[in-house]
Amino acid sequence: MVLYKNPHSVKEAISWLDEGVVIAGGTDLGVKMSDPLYRPDSLVDITGIRELSEIKTDMEGIILGACVTVDELSAREDLPDCIRMGASAIGSPQIRNIATIGGNICNASPCGDTLTPLVVLDALFVLESPEGTREMTATDFFKGPKMTALKKNEILTFIKLPKERLSGRSGFRMIGKRNGQAISQVNAAVWTFIEDGVLKDVRLAAGSVAPVPLRLLKTEDKIRNKKLTPGLIQELKYQIKDEIAPISDVRASLNYRQEVTESLFEEIFSEFLIRRSKK
Amino acid sequence: MKIEFICNGKNKAADIEGDTRALDLLRQELGLTGVKEGCGKGECGACTILLNGKPVASCILPAAKLADSEVITIEGLSEANGDLHPIQKAFLDEGAVQCGFCTPGMVLSSYALLTKNIKPETDEIETALSGNMCRCTGYGKIVAAVKRSGELLEDNHGR
Repeated sequence: MVLYKNPHSVKEAISWLDEGVVIAGGTDLGVKMSDPLYRPDSLVDITGIRELSEIKTDMEGIILGACVTVDELSAREDLPDCIRMGASAIGSPQIRNIATIGGNICNASPCGDTLTPLVVLDALFVLESPEGTREMTATDFFKGPKMTALKKNEILTFIKLPKERLSGRSGFRMIGKRNGQAISQVNAAVWTFIEDGVLKDVRLAAGSVAPVPLRLLKTEDKIRNKKLTPGLIQELKYQIKDEIAPISDVRASLNYRQEVTESLFEEIFSEFLIRRSKK
Repeated sequence: MKIEFICNGKNKAADIEGDTRALDLLRQELGLTGVKEGCGKGECGACTILLNGKPVASCILPAAKLADSEVITIEGLSEANGDLHPIQKAFLDEGAVQCGFCTPGMVLSSYALLTKNIKPETDEIETALSGNMCRCTGYGKIVAAVKRSGELLEDNHGR
């Protein structure tokens, strides 16, 4: 028999994790539970903890509660394009209406559509456990496919987006087997600050081409402080091919992923070139 | 555990387990068999219900999440005397129903869309219905039915 608990505070939730697992929207967990053998002792539903569903702005940037729904993220004009677009790419309306950003993060699928945007935005994850609170970068948090740095009785509570990444331009592309409700075979996220046509600072991340959402540091170095031109876009495509490490799996072949990843980045950067200002 | 919620406008109470699915509570306990199980994984949309006005997949939703909320199933759209909702009429008028298995989910997703946008374009309809799969119709008549629904609702002043 599975118990269902509705804590009113993070501390209360944490106290129940000895014999329970966290549930937020439940869209990933619900699928896991379609296997009758998977039955945790209890489900600890954190969506009733109000602060976890809020979006706040402070001096340092934007703070997203872990239970903010994917649908809400996809509609918020004050969030960077890359994370809105990533959120819009998840699942279907039925999934987006109840799935949460925290769930997408803690599920830690390499193809998670909010994950590469969070990596390029230098997001910080706030984790709370009986030992206290700690913060971790997205890069440190994702350890492998569906593996995170979360300790046993620890909950992801907030996601901080630093104000430095809230200006500039960002973009996201994914490709899947269908137009709607498609799992990413590859996805790509970019954040950049362009001044006088030069990429003053830039972050690139690719999903589903490595065990974790992968920051493309070598490609970033190659294009940082260069003028954004069609020629530079071709250069970055060569560099990307070298830097990613895709595999063949049920969703796509290695060759397909290699070809498509560079095209997704080409599309994002081409759009920056064509539309020189955001609106 | 005991929960209470409003289902199709009526107060309901139920005794459930932590792993009871909303789908099973609605079908087995409340007899609302218009909510269908297609894939059981939240992908096909046949199990779509409106939870506080939003379409969700009831096959992966814990029944516990219905507590203190408002649920609408397809049974809640038609009138008490059996008169069809304009969306249901439009689906029939346009020939958008073949086997009918996807239809409850399609109609509810359409209802949610039309509540926000009574004159949706084709691409908006396709996005709103992207979580509802149909193996019979090829979707064309379903899109036409949603547009027709908007017209009928406007005639009825959006009811």
